[in-house]
Amino acid sequence: MSEEWRLLLTGQHNAAENMAIDRAILTAHSRGLVPPTVRFYSWSPPAISIGYFQRLYEEIDIEACKKHGVEYVRRITGGGAVFHEHELTYSLVISEKHPKIDTNILESYGSICGAVMKGLSYLDIVSTYAPINDILVNGKKISGNAQTRKQKTVLQHGTIIMDVDVEKMFSLLKVPNEKIKDKLISDVKQRVTSVKSQMDVMIPFDTVAEAMKKGFEDTFDVKLQLGQLTSDEHELTEEYFDTCFGTKEWNDQRL
Amino acid sequence: MFFICGHLFIMKSQSIYKVPQGKLLKISLESDNKQHIKDISISGDFFAYPEESIQKLEEVLKKSLLEKNQLFTIISHFISSNEVQFIGIDAESLTEGIMRCLDE
Repeated sequence: MSEEWRLLLTGQHNAAENMAIDRAILTAHSRGLVPPTVRFYSWSPPAISIGYFQRLYEEIDIEACKKHGVEYVRRITGGGAVFHEHELTYSLVISEKHPKIDTNILESYGSICGAVMKGLSYLDIVSTYAPINDILVNGKKISGNAQTRKQKTVLQHGTIIMDVDVEKMFSLLKVPNEKIKDKLISDVKQRVTSVKSQMDVMIPFDTVAEAMKKGFEDTFDVKLQLGQLTSDEHELTEEYFDTCFGTKEWNDQRL
Repeated sequence: MFFICGHLFIMKSQSIYKVPQGKLLKISLESDNKQHIKDISISGDFFAYPEESIQKLEEVLKKSLLEKNQLFTIISHFISSNEVQFIGIDAESLTEGIMRCLDE
């Protein structure tokens, strides 16, 4: 019989809540309170997350975000700025000692991205892995991924782009040189795709989530059992929201 | 940008370096007349394990001589002795990013 991991469908949350929930699951799992967990979620209002090593004011046009009702948050994972609007975001939290997780960080990126690729295959989308952290379809990015390891626990989260508005994205992100912004937008349009572009129709979130569930189950030979956040995790989420992701101090770091 | 502080010229400069086959590396540097690092901030879309190692490296680099070989040695030693793993940057590109601040 396959090992059981927990599946969380936490729906839509704001930016700081979403990052606080992932952080809370990591801590709860590291304390042995919850099983390995796969979570699917989305963002409301839309938000930009920046990588741990990025500077908020270099990456994001704060005034444009306010104007468009877009939030922003700094992640605990490295990588680049991501505009989260029409997408499914996943996270996987699992002990770094778990036999199904590679000790080697690069290899573990590959195996977890493999689960996303398998999920895409259930939508008849053939994808390829572009190390270290991208998944491509016909050479265009459909998924970005980022991993951290803390408290002897792996957290990898990533996006599956369901639809993308490149113009809106660039109205919110800062570019190094405004003079080449139009060229950059045109380049990115050539380099990014979405589930909608690949299937010629907007697929519901639940359909993408079902495909991803199968992808994770197949890849790791586990059964994902639907569960809920525990009361410990709710408390930890509040704590991380109040002391970290919901604070200016955290989001403005590295200025 | 220059400031006069005592008898030293404090220079602030920045570099943005797309590491070949790697990630974007941004360095903000304060130096005394391009001789020693007074302060440094390393940012970008790279990965570092553990993440806190970047802040430690910034501390280690303070007061270092702005000389390519010395910087490379300090950074390489920091990576190996602290069991740090970088993805998208390495000792060579960090050295290059810092040295590019002097080109301004």
